[in-house]
Amino acid sequence: MTTVLKTEELRKQFGDLVAVDDVSLEIGGEEITSIIGPNGAGKTTFYNLLTGVLEPSSGSIWLGKEGDLREITDDPPHEVARNGLSRSYQITNIFEGLTVRENVQVARITHEGRTFDFRSRAAKDEELNEDVDELLALTNLTELAETPCETLSHGEKRNVEIALALAIEPTVFLLDEPTAGMNPTETREIVSLIRELDEDIDATFVVTEHNMDVVTDISDRIVVLAEGAVLADGEPREVLSDERVTEAYLGSEA
Amino acid sequence: MSIRDESIGDRIGTFGREAIRNGWTRERFVLLGLLGLVLVSLGPPFQVYLFTEFLIIALFALAFNLLYGYTGLLSFGHAMFYAGGSYGLAIVLRDLQPHIADTIGSGIAPLVTFVIGGLIAVVGVLLLAIPIGWLSVRLEEIYFALITLAFGMLVYSFIIQNPQGLTNGTDGIIVTLGITEIGGTELRLGDRQTYYFLTLAVVLPSIYAIWRIVHSPFGTICKSIRESPDRAAALGVNVTHHRWMTFIVSAVFVAISGVLIAGLANVASPYHSHWTTSAIPVIATVIGGATYFSGPIVGAFVYLYVRWGISRYPVLEAYWEFFFGVMLIVVVLYFKGGAAGGLVLLQAWLLDVRTAYERGGTSEAWAFVRESAAEKQRNLSARLSNLGRSEPSEGAER
Ligand SMILES: Nc1ncnc2c1ncn2[C@@H]1O[C@H](COP(=O)(O)OP(=O)(O)OP(=O)(O)O)[C@@H](O)[C@H]1O
Ligand SMILES: [Mg+2]
Repeated sequence: MTTVLKTEELRKQFGDLVAVDDVSLEIGGEEITSIIGPNGAGKTTFYNLLTGVLEPSSGSIWLGKEGDLREITDDPPHEVARNGLSRSYQITNIFEGLTVRENVQVARITHEGRTFDFRSRAAKDEELNEDVDELLALTNLTELAETPCETLSHGEKRNVEIALALAIEPTVFLLDEPTAGMNPTETREIVSLIRELDEDIDATFVVTEHNMDVVTDISDRIVVLAEGAVLADGEPREVLSDERVTEAYLGSEA
Repeated sequence: MSIRDESIGDRIGTFGREAIRNGWTRERFVLLGLLGLVLVSLGPPFQVYLFTEFLIIALFALAFNLLYGYTGLLSFGHAMFYAGGSYGLAIVLRDLQPHIADTIGSGIAPLVTFVIGGLIAVVGVLLLAIPIGWLSVRLEEIYFALITLAFGMLVYSFIIQNPQGLTNGTDGIIVTLGITEIGGTELRLGDRQTYYFLTLAVVLPSIYAIWRIVHSPFGTICKSIRESPDRAAALGVNVTHHRWMTFIVSAVFVAISGVLIAGLANVASPYHSHWTTSAIPVIATVIGGATYFSGPIVGAFVYLYVRWGISRYPVLEAYWEFFFGVMLIVVVLYFKGGAAGGLVLLQAWLLDVRTAYERGGTSEAWAFVRESAAEKQRNLSARLSNLGRSEPSEGAER
């Protein structure tokens, strides 16, 4: 297994609350890893630490290709992104006031380092828009390219979320509850999209998810977080039949 | 349907469509616009003056809106760059004019000094904007507005204190543009018409430059920061750095408008750096519509011409700020897109009225007008009763 993302004793405290409790994980490049756990288990906080949005209380984060890991613990979010770690958000976070095309352009412009290319006009730049079109096709958004995002349906916005994250050609793609708030049809569509993308694209997918059908459907490996700590880690079948895991979930529902 | 009577509205509509069909493309409309701009110069001197001022304020507001409408940062201190432009020019004219005249001869010295003064002023503002911007963009939202306001007041008090006679205190510095002689012909730069064309020659390319910036990849990144800074950062955008760059670009164009106002008003006045001057582009942009490129231009027009209209009635003039207050409230409550947005809506509405008319004649059109007016009324009262309650905002999880 080649590791693409690694944490060592990663910890985050908010006052007395330990949101992420000394998590040490190695994510392999060839598998889809799901991180599951009851509400408040620390999944989103874990993502925020990885992407540099929150500063860890202690521990370290490493990222890289082909076993060549670099420490990114103290990098600000934009550098983490440039180093190849991309994410989608649990609560949809896209550029609502812009069109779908413009949304993806943002990612491509920074990725290609063309921010200061004042000779270019974004709307008419062929080189830029070729790449954008390719991504839109990949995420089933071609027909919506010129639509302002604020008028999209929830499911479509979630697709834009994914297109944005992929546009920077990440090494690792963290998805935070991709099916949140979706109806069954939309859920089925996004799951098949994620599977297709995993085949077509060189990125490693890490997914947090509440929908257990989705989890069993796409995961090669499951990591269970409870109260910030790793409770179980391994093959889906093993992990889901683990008594402590069922207990953690039942306990949270009671 | 009855036989169409050829009303004036109909004829204008037909004329417009015909014109477009007959190749009245954008280029031709631009030509027509330029012709209009030339015609303005033939008006009475005061009208030429007013229109020149409009062009300058339009550039001021457009440059401000690069930061506000496009990047989402409300600066309340842009007068410092405006004053930087006007004082830069005034100081160069006062202190360097004789030296320049000695070197290149007094004939074309006034024009050359104006150009050099303008350039020095803009570079000066650039050097000022680099550190001020660097510090300011580290803060967001209201804190950004406050720190820019504070820097603006600092510059104002610096000017008032007249360090070593540099700024001439509360009186400001008189700007004399002089008489340029080129090949025997005399050119009075300060002449209303001449200065109007000079302003046009500077403002039009500046507007075009800002337009290109807004539509370049740089502008796309600006808009992404306005929409969601943390999302932009998660895609690799260095948000702070980009805000800083935008701040500097904005300041430079404001400086250009400041240079022009000093030449027009014949003075670099402390008023140019006062916070009430910082409010001018804010008001113009809000009235005109921050989300439209042309919004600040439309707003500057409304601002200056309404003020002029009010100033003709001494009874009203004492209360002109009151009128702008009312206007701002109406715009904020009623026209989210400002006047430019209002014009777009009006156009769409007129088309709808027209469709209704074509469907069922006058009675149908009238019914549509009444219906949409009633709807506006309902919307407004709904919004008024919602005032104090804030809408739930859907933000990013941090
Ligand atoms: N910025 C913050 N300040 C204080 N406490 C926080 C902050 N962010 C998260 N927490 C707390 O940390 C804990 C973990 O929250 P987190 O959002 O990471 O959980 P989660 O596993 O993503 O839950 P969900 O499944 O509901 O998304 C919660 O108790 C939450 O209240
Ligand atoms: Mg979460």
